[in-house]
This record gives sequence, C-alpha cells and structure tokens, in this order.
Amino acid sequence: MMEIVIQTAGAFFAIFGFSILLDVPKKFLFWTSGSGAVGWLAYILALAGGRSPIMAAFLSSLAASLFSHTVARIMKAPVTVFLVAGILPTVPGASIYRCVYYLIQAEPSLSSFYLIQTLQIAGAMALAIFIVDSLFRLTQKPQGREEKGEKGSSVCG
Amino acid sequence: MDYQALVDMAVMAGEIMLVSGAEVYRIEDTISRILKKSGVEHSEVFALATGIFVTISDPHAGVITVVKRVDRHSTNLNRIYSVNNVSRKFCRGEMTVEEAMAELTRIAGEVQYGFFHKCIGYVMTTGFFAILFGGRWIDCLAAGMVGFVLALVGEAAARLHLNDFCQNAAGSFALAMAAMLLSCIVPGLNQDAVIISAIMPLVPGVTFTSAIRDTLNGDYSSGVAKAAEAVVVALAVASGVGAGMMAFRMMGGIV
Repeated sequence: MMEIVIQTAGAFFAIFGFSILLDVPKKFLFWTSGSGAVGWLAYILALAGGRSPIMAAFLSSLAASLFSHTVARIMKAPVTVFLVAGILPTVPGASIYRCVYYLIQAEPSLSSFYLIQTLQIAGAMALAIFIVDSLFRLTQKPQGREEKGEKGSSVCG
Repeated sequence: MDYQALVDMAVMAGEIMLVSGAEVYRIEDTISRILKKSGVEHSEVFALATGIFVTISDPHAGVITVVKRVDRHSTNLNRIYSVNNVSRKFCRGEMTVEEAMAELTRIAGEVQYGFFHKCIGYVMTTGFFAILFGGRWIDCLAAGMVGFVLALVGEAAARLHLNDFCQNAAGSFALAMAAMLLSCIVPGLNQDAVIISAIMPLVPGVTFTSAIRDTLNGDYSSGVAKAAEAVVVALAVASGVGAGMMAFRMMGGIV
C-alpha cells in the first residue's frame, strides 16, 4: 500500500519535471502531472492484479487518455497537452534504448527481444489512445454551428 | 480581403504547431478551419512531418500556393496551446488576420522556462523516474545529479548548434560517464536504474507513440517519418551511452 503511494507520488513529480522540459503552460502543470500519476497508478495496479506488462500499458493508457480528454474539455485546451504527459511513464523509451544498445553490443537476440517488446507496448498504448479518441469524437457535434466549449479537444470552436 | 496575408497567417500557425510537435491531423484541421472561415471557394491543405503545403483558389483571389519546409522539431506544448487559442478566437471572429499574425509572431518567440527552470526539470525528471524504475533513495539522488550533468551538457551542445543526433549523443555520453563515476564512488549503486532514468528526458517515447497514432489515423507518410526520427534518436542515445561506458572502462575505471 505504502509502495503504491510512493510510486504514484514519484510519477507525479517525475512528470512535473518532464512537463517543464516539454514547455507545458504554467497553469496546467498540476494537471499534466496528475495525468502522469493516473497513468502510472493504473499501470502498477494492473501489474499487481497479475496482468502482463502489455495489458498493463494498455489499461494505463486507457486511464490516462480518459483523464486527459476530460481535463482538456474542462480546460478548453488541446488534448495533446495532457495526453503526452499522461502516457510518459509507460512509454517504451527504455525498451527502445535497450534494443539499440544490445544491437551495438552485438547481442542480436536480446536486441530483438526488446524490439518486439517496444512494438507491443507502443502498439497497445496507441490502440488505447485510438479507442478513447474515437469514443470522444462520437460525442462531438459535426463541424458547423457548435456551442462554446463543446469541442474541447478540437482546434476551433 | 487580403488573401495572401490570410494564407501566410494560416501557414505560420501550422508551422509553429509542426515545429512544436503537434499531430499532422491537428495541423491540417487548424489551417483548413482558418481558411474556411474567410469563405474561400476552394482550399486544400497537405501537411507532412517535414513540411506544409497550402493552396487556395477563389474567383476574387486567384490561386495562391504556399510551401513551407520545416526541418527542426522540439516539443513545446505551450506553443501548441497558444496557437490553438489564436485559431479559436479567429474562427469565432474575435480577431482580424493582422491581430492573429502579430499574436503568432509573439508566440513563436516566447520562452516560458529559462535555463534555470529547465535544470530543475531535468533533475526532477531523472531523480523521480529512478523511483519508478525500482531505485532506492540513493539511486534517486545519483540519478538527479546525473540529470544535472545532462542539463549542462545539453545546454552547451545547443549553444554550439550541434545537430540533433550529436546533441543527444553528447548528452548520453556525459550521463553514462557521470553514472559510472558515481557508481565507483558509491558502492552498490543500481547503475542500470540510474542510467535508464537519466536517459528518460532524451528517449523518443513520445515521438514513437505519435508515429503509431499518425499511422492509425491514416497519415502514413508522417507516421513513417516520425518512426524513423525515433529510431535515429534512439541510435544516438544508445551509441552515446555505449561510447561513454567504453571510454570510462578504457580510462581504467572499474565497472
């Protein structure tokens, strides 16, 4: 239990730092960090529930995208701002690095293991993001006369 | 109505978004909304990860085409957000073309966080990511210090106007050296966790994921371009770390 709290807090502050590197608008720093914490919380809960890392990445991205889309609606900002931060803790950066690192170290079997892991995790995350994107697009009115704030995730309106 | 100014404004909005790392469909959407607002008869927008093409044709305006090549990328969510606001206001009719242009010029030059803030960002990112990668408090501390080294080297490489590959390679070379040095001084340091957390600000996870998003959206060319970008960055980071480790061993450091 304590471990979960520490990990979630760690994700919050790590994403806070990363948000500065990504030039997140100051008023959204709290929300982007929250998005990262939600994503990581979902990830460790899924792992603790006995899911595979790929399933955990899927569920984590699902939670982070739902959170991001909701916050983007409320704040009237592009969803990317929150989504990028939300998926960062689970993004397969370390596996891409390991894949290329073992390639340089002349260990092709380890390299291809991490390549496949990268593709699986990235694919699972993209699928989750795609599902939530499509769901929220269903709730939007088609282009034309929209009410103010109706299209939180889109560009004009 | 000055159609040339309108197209220039729309392309500038798109260019800022593309440089800042927005998705291709969002860029095309923004530009075509701005153009449609002015009521031109026919407009076409085509954006790639490396450039934007816009053309309008109208009985009053004739045919106007603008091609914009974009060769640098650095994620800046504040600019995406600000351009989004400008385009919303413009589409609601609260802004003229000239006002929008002036606002976009201001956004393109705006710096929200200076070097000091970026340093804090690097240290927090690397330090706290160590927790997520199973580090203990001493590993977090070490990762934070390595992150500070990375911030200094990254800033120096940017001032020297090195290209992206060299910037990433220089940064990861320095962080690998710093991490090896620290694990010599502090016995029992989780070196793997320290290095993996320290490369987190560099690794192209976001680029890779947005490459897959673009592909699923049907923007195949930008999807492939972004995937290639991710591979190049990963190559730079991995070769930097590899070279740093090798150089440290050659200098007689015990791993």
